[in-house]
Amino acid sequence: MLLWLLALPLPALALDKTLGVAPAFLSQYSPPKSGLWKCLDGSKEIPWDFVNDDACDCPDGSDEPGTSACPNSTFYCQNVGHIGATIPSSRVNDGLCEPQCCDGSDERPGVCKNACKEIGEEYRRKRDAERKIQKTGAKIRSTYIAFAHKEKKRLEALVESSGQEIIIREKEVARLRDIADRTESMSAAALEHKQQSPLYTTLMSHSSALKALQREHKKHLEREKQLGEILDALRTGYNPNYQDMAVLEAVRGWEYLAKLPHIGVEADAQVAADLSVSDDEAGIEESEEEKKVEEAVDEDDWTAEELETGLEELLNTDYVSLLLAHDDHVRTPPPSTVFNMRSYLPESFIPQYEEMRETIISWLEVIGISGSDAEVSSDSSKARQAFNAAETALNKVKKEKKEAEEDLEEIFDINGFGVDGEWKKLDGTCLALDTGEYTYEVCMFEEAKQKPNKGGTTFNLGKFSSWNPSPDVQPGEPAYYEKQVYNQGTRCWNGPERSVILVLKCGTENAIHSVMELEKCEYQLTGTSPALCYPLDANANGSREEL
Amino acid sequence: MLPWTLLGVLSLLITVPDALAVKSHDFKTCSQAGFCRRGRAISARAAEAKSAWKSPYSLDVPSIAITPHKAVFKAGVKSSLYPNIKFGLELRVHEDGVVRVRMDEVDGLRKRYDEAASWALISEPQISQEITWTAGKKDIRAKYGNNEVVVAFQPLKISLLRGGKEQVVLNGQGLLHMEHFRTKQIAETKTEEAAPEAEEGAEQVVMEVKKEVNPRAWFEGDTEDDWWDERFSTWTDTKPKGPESLSLDISFPSHGTIYGIPQHATRLALPTTAGDSPTFTEPYRLYNADVFEYLASSPMSLYGSIPVLHAHSADSTVGIFHAVGSETWIDVSHASDKSTQTHWISESGILDVFLMPGPTPADIFAQYARLTGTPVLPPHWSLGYHQCRWNYISSEDVRTVQKRFDEEDMPVDVFWLDIEYAEEHKYFMWDEKNFPDPVEMTNDVAANGRKMVVIVDPHLKRTDTYPAFKEASDRKLLVKPPSGDGEYEGWCWSGSSSWIDFFNPNSWDWWKSLFKTTALKSGWSWTSSTTDIHIWNDMNEPSVFNGPEISMPRDNVHHGGWEHRDIHNINGMLFSNLTSQAVRERTDPPTRPFVLTRSFFAGSQRFGAMWTGDNLGTWEHMAVGIQMVLANGIAGLSFAGSDVGGFFGNPEPEMLVRWYQVGIFNPFLRAHAHIDTKRREPFLQEEPYKGMIKDILRLRYTMLPVWYTAFRETSVTGVPVLRPHYVVFPKDPKGFAVDDQYFIGSSGILVKPITTKGATETTVYLPEDEVYYDYFSHHVYRGASKGKDITVQAELHEIPVFVRGGSIVPTRERPRRSSPLMKLDPFTLRVALGKAGSARGELYLDDGVSYSHEKGQFVWREFSAETAKKVVRLTTKNLGLERVGEAVDGVALASYDPGNKFAKTIGEVRVEKVVVLGLAGKPTSVKVEGGKELVWEYTPGVAAGGKGEGVASVLTIKDPKVLIVKDWAIVIQL
Repeated sequence: MLLWLLALPLPALALDKTLGVAPAFLSQYSPPKSGLWKCLDGSKEIPWDFVNDDACDCPDGSDEPGTSACPNSTFYCQNVGHIGATIPSSRVNDGLCEPQCCDGSDERPGVCKNACKEIGEEYRRKRDAERKIQKTGAKIRSTYIAFAHKEKKRLEALVESSGQEIIIREKEVARLRDIADRTESMSAAALEHKQQSPLYTTLMSHSSALKALQREHKKHLEREKQLGEILDALRTGYNPNYQDMAVLEAVRGWEYLAKLPHIGVEADAQVAADLSVSDDEAGIEESEEEKKVEEAVDEDDWTAEELETGLEELLNTDYVSLLLAHDDHVRTPPPSTVFNMRSYLPESFIPQYEEMRETIISWLEVIGISGSDAEVSSDSSKARQAFNAAETALNKVKKEKKEAEEDLEEIFDINGFGVDGEWKKLDGTCLALDTGEYTYEVCMFEEAKQKPNKGGTTFNLGKFSSWNPSPDVQPGEPAYYEKQVYNQGTRCWNGPERSVILVLKCGTENAIHSVMELEKCEYQLTGTSPALCYPLDANANGSREEL
Repeated sequence: MLPWTLLGVLSLLITVPDALAVKSHDFKTCSQAGFCRRGRAISARAAEAKSAWKSPYSLDVPSIAITPHKAVFKAGVKSSLYPNIKFGLELRVHEDGVVRVRMDEVDGLRKRYDEAASWALISEPQISQEITWTAGKKDIRAKYGNNEVVVAFQPLKISLLRGGKEQVVLNGQGLLHMEHFRTKQIAETKTEEAAPEAEEGAEQVVMEVKKEVNPRAWFEGDTEDDWWDERFSTWTDTKPKGPESLSLDISFPSHGTIYGIPQHATRLALPTTAGDSPTFTEPYRLYNADVFEYLASSPMSLYGSIPVLHAHSADSTVGIFHAVGSETWIDVSHASDKSTQTHWISESGILDVFLMPGPTPADIFAQYARLTGTPVLPPHWSLGYHQCRWNYISSEDVRTVQKRFDEEDMPVDVFWLDIEYAEEHKYFMWDEKNFPDPVEMTNDVAANGRKMVVIVDPHLKRTDTYPAFKEASDRKLLVKPPSGDGEYEGWCWSGSSSWIDFFNPNSWDWWKSLFKTTALKSGWSWTSSTTDIHIWNDMNEPSVFNGPEISMPRDNVHHGGWEHRDIHNINGMLFSNLTSQAVRERTDPPTRPFVLTRSFFAGSQRFGAMWTGDNLGTWEHMAVGIQMVLANGIAGLSFAGSDVGGFFGNPEPEMLVRWYQVGIFNPFLRAHAHIDTKRREPFLQEEPYKGMIKDILRLRYTMLPVWYTAFRETSVTGVPVLRPHYVVFPKDPKGFAVDDQYFIGSSGILVKPITTKGATETTVYLPEDEVYYDYFSHHVYRGASKGKDITVQAELHEIPVFVRGGSIVPTRERPRRSSPLMKLDPFTLRVALGKAGSARGELYLDDGVSYSHEKGQFVWREFSAETAKKVVRLTTKNLGLERVGEAVDGVALASYDPGNKFAKTIGEVRVEKVVVLGLAGKPTSVKVEGGKELVWEYTPGVAAGGKGEGVASVLTIKDPKVLIVKDWAIVIQL
């Protein structure tokens, strides 16, 4: 007992004043002549003895580079044989040997062994392996860049050629418009009369009724699709454990209606095979079967497929042309060739003919033997068609040009396909990862999907929205291209819209390696791409590296 | 039928405003529970009858039998309502003056459940050898000290008096009613008379017939109101035993404030539920329930129940503990400001009430602790920061979260896994796809001194490939359905599930064996775990998704044939207590377990921690969380906290920062979040919030010595870790209703967490004529003997924390990644001089994980400062030597070795800094006694003994190099 009372405090171990000082600051840790040492921030002067005495004196913590006495300061371990490292002071003398300090200098002597030799070797081995990957990746990346340049040239040529084409086509359109306008102004009155025929008016009401029906039908189909999606989401997304009977009934009802197996219940092999074709297709196939059954009822009835494609065609009918064709049809015998000269004329003469014909007809009208409105209207309609076709062709070229211009702009835009256009090559490239339950697919710069492997709905996880959105990262920096954001995917039942963050790093392959749903319906995918393998720095040989 | 339907509609209408969050219709109101309706009807009839009301119960005087040691008497009790039914009353006076009152039906048709106390009590209390009962003509009395217990014969009335003044009175209002067992009258009258009529008509006839002959209607009413089958929503409770409820009024004629009966989301000083314009219209309900999105102010049941009540006045505190495990409703009213009436209505069970005479709050805590045990001394690491979320989704996720904490240098001790770690929610069974390497993952966490807590819920998925279920089923350890045969099957996270019946002693060793980390011959054990994994028990109310009130049918059958209704409120406690023992016994020698439970009962404090369940991310829930934790503390369960951030919702950064401020001043500090919420780990926050939270967490860690020292005291005395004002200043009426600020143990730390949006300042109540120092700025505030409100700054980065003058606060100021890494860090002592120039503080340390402290391996120091003749002496002494007998809970150590093994491990740990606040002037010298002049700095300021306010004078002594385990003195010469 007495012994214990008499035991004196152990003298604090006198630490080297430069322990934990980073090389850059070493010069500032030398004994001052005055005996007073200035804190690095200049805020205070303290006796030199107070440096590394395991008690904090400087507000900036600079008097304790080698201890944990000052919070928020740092400790430098030299790691001779490896690379020096800086760790927070909170890790000094905490009883744990920091992996960053392979020399063990972060703990009292004797606590940690010096493992810098092995760790250094291991580090170099790993670094070399990484460099090898980077080197290979960089080669691939350079082909991407070459592709971008090639693509640029192609697009430039396309812009050039389409520009020329536009000029030609614009002229043609102007000419045809002129003809059509003139032809039409002449026949408008006659046409109006014909259009009052009961047959035509009834046809028109049928047509508008059909159009309205089709619109309504489409609306309902869309609603049904949406409802189906909602119910699919409910079915796959609900937590059966919540034991909400209303939800369970809804799911069961939907499964019955949509002929789906009960979720969670292993579907038998046949059903599974059917469903695994592809969720959407499977659904269609099934409904097609239904339609076939219905088909048998009345052969004159349109099949669903016919409705899908034929109705559109039917409604796109040019009724005016039809009206005129009808007139043709009921008029027997066919009109004399005088009025149908065009069919005998070579293409190049038609314009002249049209002009001439106009003159003739107006003359005939004047003398009272006109009577062939039908032919006139038919001609005007054909002129209009020719104009329309020419205009469509023009617009198509214009669109091509515009797209080519946009693509051209994007290739080397830092917000688009990167500084070197290295991402252009991957535009639309789809990467997929099978996680067992689902296959996740990202089509780069387009969209991301989650496809269930055992049947069910494929969910849209979002469309490409941006590169790394972090305010700390500037466009053009490597870190900017290490993240892609896909958002505004299908909304989760009782949750947000699905979204994806694709985190990429340099690798020799374009691939997805992992998927994590860190928050409900927010997926983090990690993967690799050679597009991120920048060429190795010539002088980056690690001699002055710091961990 | 009509009135019933109407009633339903009405009650629905009434609950509509409440229905915004909670699904009120899932839970009964008093009027929807037959026995509560009957109980409240008695009280309504009594109120109407006024002075004409007289309890039908009386003592059968000739039957009085006083036992030889004389502190116990037994007697028969008769009810004038049912002259042929016999009741027995027994009163025992314990050694410490606690009076136990028991009443049961004698020779009844069946047996009432009488085992509730046996689950709550640590042992059979010692009966006094000195106190004696004396029978008179009108009553029988036992007098001891200043106290007296009087049992009046007719009507039966039991009173506890002090100084001749009634403190607690049972049946003073005549509401006592023990519904005896009876045989169901198979409606013969019905078949005879009601054949052509509707059922309602039949009942009508029966009622009318009874009315003529029913002499009990004045008390019981004249209908058999839900005596037998009882419906609630789509469920029918078969109630094979019929009516067996217990109504009892307990009055406190001299006490105007009551506290306790957790768990309710309400004020600490309980608002009224009856009488004139009550705050709540429903009684407080104790029926452990998984209440989804519970209300922030409501007498509704929550997850746990502790039927303990404190009645308080400036000159006396008394308490009662009603050992009942069945559903219980409690009405509270005040006939005057100075008195309180309570009415307890329980569904089943005997009357078993403990009267705790006080007379101070500290006495009540000691008396209650002697009955049900003291709070556990938790593993030290469990006082650190717990990071939880539903769910960290994979072992990679866990590693990443740990990495992010370390990158930000934010301290954290424990990472938690909610239910998604378990394949198909089969607890113990890792989802191997996402957690392919649970042992390696845990080892990676443990490498930084940290632990993991993994959830194990009581519902077992009914599939034979699940060993826990299979073994429980094979061993017939599962709760049975009402038929009493087979296995009850309900729905929970794991789908179709069954529940272990922990009332069956055969389940105990088996359950413990599951937690062994090594393979066993006897059966399955959790070999894919390590001893760094501790356990979270959730859903143990029990929560049953397709059961009545989201719980188990009351007519389910437990071991011994008892119905679930009899033991419902105890059920959750057994599960977590057994789990706690299982975790403790994983190792040999045992190590301290950490088990968090959501459901609890009287006695849960002996085994682990609780939290306030699934709170909402709202300011109201943040505020009521504090009140709930205080209420739990005074009911014995100190190791409590509410989920930081709120379980539901996405708190804005301001709210999150404030919630961390609340959290670090809760005994149990855990951040948790629902699966639908955005991730909100501290490192994900933007600046300045991230930095604020980092500082807040670090503050918690610096104060861990304060918390651990407070827990030691609580574990021995039962006085809660969080001390509301009435506990610390029982004579100050102004503090009785204060429940938004409190003290931590005896440390002198006073906290008022901010729980309002946009706050920049707050009012703090100072209850005494003493100085209080702002913990951070050292600003001196002066209280007054009659109490005083002060206004203090409380910007978002500021927490109103004060040190009461006269306290010495030991802290460890070096930030570390986790608490075990602080083991050898030096201490800072904050000496906050009181007006009289003195101060005192304690520090308790042990290895924090083992039970070696029970063998004397600990360090328990006192620090004190005294001012005499311009000399302030700061000294320390060894409390281990001075008060060895009261050092460790449950162990009377005979001697203490200051050089014990643990003390040696911290032999070099020193005091690195001493800060003395409130000195009268600049010292001329500061030395360790017998040593050289120390390095110190002095900033002039307000002196504790003076009159001014403003920043205190601050003396900072640099590294005096004195050791924690040694005696020393620092002499400050003024």
